[in-house]
Amino acid sequence: MSRPVVITGVGMVTPLGISSEVVFDRLIAGESAVRPISSFDTADLPSHLGAEIADFDAKEIIPGRAIRKMDRLSRIAVAAAKLAMSDAGLVIDDDNMDRVGITLGVAYGSVDVSVQFATTLFDEGPTMVNPILVPNTVMNAPAGHSSIVLGFRGINCTVNHKETSGETAIAFAAGQIKKGRADVMFAGGADVVGRLIYEILGRFRALSPLDGKDEAARPFDVRRNGAAAGEGAGVICLESLESARKRGAKVYGEVAGFGMSAAPSPLNTWPTSTQGPVTALTRALESAGIAPGDVSYISASASGHPALDDLEAKAVAEVFGEGPSGPRVSSVKGAVGESASSGGVRAALSAMSLVRGVVPPTAGLETPAFPLNHVIGTGSETDISYIVQNGFSSGGTFVSLVYKISD
Amino acid sequence: MERIVITGLGTVNAVSKNVDEYTAALKNGECGVGPISVFDTTGYRTHTGGEVKDFSPRSMIPKEFSLHRMSRADKMAFIAALEALTNAGLFPFPGELSADTGVIIGGGAGGMLQGEEFFKEYITNGPERIRFSLMAPLHCAASADHIAGKLGLFGPKTTFMTACSSSANAMGFAADLIRDGLCRVVVTGGTEPLSRITYAGFNSLRSVDPEYPKPFDKNRQGLSLGEGAGVLILESLSHAKERGANIVAEFLGYGVTCDAHHMTAPAPDAGGAARSMRAALADAGIDATRIDYINAHGTATPANDLVETAAIKAVLGKRAYDVPVSSTKSMIGHTLGAAGALEAVASILAMNGGFISPTIHHTEPDPECDLDYVTEGAREGAMDIFLSNSFAFGGNNTTVIIGRFTEKGVVNE
Repeated sequence: MSRPVVITGVGMVTPLGISSEVVFDRLIAGESAVRPISSFDTADLPSHLGAEIADFDAKEIIPGRAIRKMDRLSRIAVAAAKLAMSDAGLVIDDDNMDRVGITLGVAYGSVDVSVQFATTLFDEGPTMVNPILVPNTVMNAPAGHSSIVLGFRGINCTVNHKETSGETAIAFAAGQIKKGRADVMFAGGADVVGRLIYEILGRFRALSPLDGKDEAARPFDVRRNGAAAGEGAGVICLESLESARKRGAKVYGEVAGFGMSAAPSPLNTWPTSTQGPVTALTRALESAGIAPGDVSYISASASGHPALDDLEAKAVAEVFGEGPSGPRVSSVKGAVGESASSGGVRAALSAMSLVRGVVPPTAGLETPAFPLNHVIGTGSETDISYIVQNGFSSGGTFVSLVYKISD
Repeated sequence: MERIVITGLGTVNAVSKNVDEYTAALKNGECGVGPISVFDTTGYRTHTGGEVKDFSPRSMIPKEFSLHRMSRADKMAFIAALEALTNAGLFPFPGELSADTGVIIGGGAGGMLQGEEFFKEYITNGPERIRFSLMAPLHCAASADHIAGKLGLFGPKTTFMTACSSSANAMGFAADLIRDGLCRVVVTGGTEPLSRITYAGFNSLRSVDPEYPKPFDKNRQGLSLGEGAGVLILESLSHAKERGANIVAEFLGYGVTCDAHHMTAPAPDAGGAARSMRAALADAGIDATRIDYINAHGTATPANDLVETAAIKAVLGKRAYDVPVSSTKSMIGHTLGAAGALEAVASILAMNGGFISPTIHHTEPDPECDLDYVTEGAREGAMDIFLSNSFAFGGNNTTVIIGRFTEKGVVNE
């Protein structure tokens, strides 16, 4: 069985806002949420910038008392799923609950809860640890909480493969609908930033300023010197075209295909050879049955990390060509930071671009280091037929998704 | 639709360090649960687990592969992967297949055992002078990264972390990737290390038996945590035939559902577990009468065994009493992220060896768990198709169905 899979809802909790309309408008206007970290002290660290979620009150979005059992990661993930469900106008009832599922990508999980648990374990001893914390230390807690609160009894699982987690979760979910095993799948990703993960990313040379110069998030720029840590949750509602039509749901666009690949790489950085990402991109185009020239826009994985941006720019140029004849290319990580499983947020934004015919700029990009068809400054009206979204993770893992505008 | 076959198996676990030893241990009903030595259990409520004893990875991994920045979980996964590839006739790995070979792994605590040393230093001494290198392989994605990277594979790669159903999900996605034509071979399975945080966590939930697990027994008190890795080589039938591979089984289907009930307790109506088995049967295109054996999730927690028994009865009806059901966890403990793979490997070995592996440590029947749990030791028995359950935190349920390989297809016979 092979059924068309469409996007019928989006939900986001990001440093640029909670409502998807607000987030999109601010991005298009060229705003960035990257600023000095305020939730913990960075005085003794080499990096100080990040994009943090502000003004988020989970109680306004998540119904009932279940929220008490959730840590911050699960709260933003469940809220994003709930927002996507509301946007899709989907009502869960006894008749459809077994055919509705959720697949989330989580790159780092609830590090703060694990630290709290480990602190008690090593300070006070194993009999003093709090069992209430245990469920939230597991990577699949956000998807589990989502299913309980929102009533999804269908397919449920969690992908945990660093910066490709969100894209892979979407690819898996779309496949379930395509094969007729589910009618609706919520899919996306969520990650939060805390002091320990920030320190670890710094020590493993992921964060700006790697060269000791000015600290900033500048994807694809000649002065790029590392990512800004970010956080956020983004979930899209995927649905069989048949189910969407039956409900009279609005359709953002279609998930037309995906490609995945690997390449040998050191664990904590990206390889230099383009063979891995080119394989993922080529397979994604094949899977969608399109040519490189059909793609109007690429939602890039580039974060400002020298190795990642270099690899992605070269792979994109290799597959799609250089200069203004190629598809528009931008990365929202200059505005919302690198939240690892950002694939969910970027999928939601791509869905909105399909409908609005506008693509966001790369905030922080002033002087491009690569001859791509960049979007600089503010959003650009673009005649969109297909969008490609890249998720490239350190350790050499690559996923490319293809979205298609609705007929 | 393309048929998916299994052409190689590999494992490291508490009762064995390769598939031949695993077959013998399953047949003998050996217990791998005993005192834990990988960390000091002083002060913990319990002290036993299914540990991989005398683990010497350097002697099991060819010298050409560096062990630098590999966690215990990574090493176990890599050893199991090399064994599975060797059995599949794919090691040394043929370079021409590299773009067509994926790695899809179910993860768990990943590099947590070393990461805990980091946490201890961080918590005790603060971030100054701390050895961040201890964290390098913390992420459970590292196991797949090492396998693909060291072998030079360019096919699809990812890691599922759905707690105790991680590797069952991984096998399912691996099969889908081949069905969708995205690759022809996938190295799939799962790996899980024992670790203090996991051990303390399950103990705090009071789900651990202080001795060893007694699945389906009236006096069962909980699970024993275990560790290990199980790897299966999944391949399209056409590709396996083209290269003349030895086919050990056929992957027939899988199903995934969610209880949407509670984060750590199964839904008492057994609905989620039953729907998972039904979804897998539908994916395999067979009805429940074709199931000859069930490899149970069988953790030995009071709630799981009760709910799983009820779910099996709901799906199999009266026939539930005639189908043997056993728990591999009674021998190797609950290996969490690796459990689905280790149990699939165990069941394939039993199927091909003409026996049904037992549930050990079962002495007193529970009136509410009244199925045939193979408690008298391994028995001779033929099976064509088996079903393996993995249920997890978060209310996640996954079932895989695997069968004997025949030319015509066992589902058509």
